[in-house]
Amino acid sequence: MEIATYKNDVWGREVLLGVSWDLLWLVCVVALVIIAGHAVYMATQQRAERPSQEGKHVQRHEPIDRIMHWVMAISILALLFTGVLPIIGIEFAWLTLHWIAGLVLTAAVLFHIIRSVLQKDLMSVWISPSDLKEALDDSHKPGKYSVAQKGMHAAVTVVTLLVIVSGLFMFAMIDTPWWDRTNSLSESTLGWMFLIHGLTTLALIALIAFHLYFTLRPEKLFYLRSMIKGWISEDELSANHDPERWAPDDSA
Amino acid sequence: MASFDVMPDMQLYQPVELDDALNLADRYAADGWILGGGQDTYGWLKDRAKHPQAMIDLNGIEALRGIRDSADGIEIGAATTLREIIRDKRINRDYRLLSDAAATVASPQIRNVGTLGGNLVQDARCWYYRRGLSCYRAGGNTCYADTPDGINREHCIFGASRCVAVTPSDTATAMVALEATMVVQSVAGERTVSAEDFFVGPDTHITQMTSLEPGEILTAVRIPAKWAGKKFYFEKIADRNVWDFALVSIAVAMSMDGDTIGDSRFVCGGVACTPHRLRHVENAARGKSLSDESADAVASIAADGARPLNANQYKLPMMENLVRRAMRA
Repeated sequence: MEIATYKNDVWGREVLLGVSWDLLWLVCVVALVIIAGHAVYMATQQRAERPSQEGKHVQRHEPIDRIMHWVMAISILALLFTGVLPIIGIEFAWLTLHWIAGLVLTAAVLFHIIRSVLQKDLMSVWISPSDLKEALDDSHKPGKYSVAQKGMHAAVTVVTLLVIVSGLFMFAMIDTPWWDRTNSLSESTLGWMFLIHGLTTLALIALIAFHLYFTLRPEKLFYLRSMIKGWISEDELSANHDPERWAPDDSA
Repeated sequence: MASFDVMPDMQLYQPVELDDALNLADRYAADGWILGGGQDTYGWLKDRAKHPQAMIDLNGIEALRGIRDSADGIEIGAATTLREIIRDKRINRDYRLLSDAAATVASPQIRNVGTLGGNLVQDARCWYYRRGLSCYRAGGNTCYADTPDGINREHCIFGASRCVAVTPSDTATAMVALEATMVVQSVAGERTVSAEDFFVGPDTHITQMTSLEPGEILTAVRIPAKWAGKKFYFEKIADRNVWDFALVSIAVAMSMDGDTIGDSRFVCGGVACTPHRLRHVENAARGKSLSDESADAVASIAADGARPLNANQYKLPMMENLVRRAMRA
């Protein structure tokens, strides 16, 4: 199985076309195997008593952050559906929907970056050496985000930025309401853009599969609720987080 | 680019039963080449721009030939030659639009061997694509025709989506105007699709001209009685009267109530990747009579929404004039 696809042009030159979409099935299978393996492993473990959601609420996510999270989630899903469904044979006029969703994602990501830098504790979501203790010692609780959540965020950040940048280059090559297509990039440059866009798409598929799985795991469902309603209970806070490392606002 | 006088190495199958052809099409899928009259085939193979493993020749399958009655109109086998269509009395009497369109295809020699199915499913004639460049339509990432220096005089003015090629089929416009239904078969069975949906643009599928999937064969076309004997108009403008593809063509079917136009279908070829239906013209023509005055009024909106490329703005007045001429006929 190849990573990239090539075509010999009329002059016999090898032209890079993009990612080999045979990898799509490999990525799906590998992601499902990992998820199934984790689910089986967790089923064999003794279940800890789940903290109560009753009692006093503390705010985990502000409304604006929740809105932006769901805007990004919906736009990424729209991008995946409009980008991947035609590849697997479900044909429809996908391109306009795809770039509109791409622009929404780009705007949401820019907003998120600016807000994170200017108004939030940027370092709370980035992995630091002290986070590694969590992986080695169960009694070492995380701050606002666990090392797994930070790792997921870092991976999604890198992959999303790459998919956006490569997508913007491709966006310049098509008609939009603001400009006519330019055809300004060489075939080889476009080939690299399509390859990066394709590889990052495959990575996003795997990351989203993991994200959805861990979101829907019973012991993690309170995080999903917090992304919808904004709060977790004090019991959930003390059971899963170190108050020394995260002291949330209790105004929820 | 090299061109060769001999056929490339491939398997040749000449089934006489449709089931055998369908099994072969299923077995080879995208690596199989369905052969009708061969007029779109041999250029590809001569230039070595397509590399099928097997050729499945449909010409020996009697079930795919001929013009017969259907439950509602007529059914034409996909391997029926254009010459047979042009000379068929019933088509000339009831569906003159189709015989007029078929009569403008290429040359007498090509019409003698070219089939209806082949004419309908033929590939784009963009020379960048036909010469084997890795353009969008060939699975690549760019369009050579739509560049500042691109030679795009024959390309589209509607429906561009990365690729700017146009439909080269003369009979396709007539089929859309006549509300024909395409009969598509595969080992999984039969499906029918309206002519309007059969042809797909680059926004939907950039490497295909039709909704035919690998393993499927267009076996027949059904034309409903709805438009039988109605008023028709077909005209094709090309650089030469023979052997050439349409710069712009028009196929019109009109239901007349005395001198007044009722329902109508105006379909242009050569302006988009698919037969381009002029719905706004159809709406504007409803209730009008065939006259210079109404022709001028309706023609003025014919090219609304067009986005010409560098070298094909001439297609806009050409479209308007074809609509005008149809309304005067």
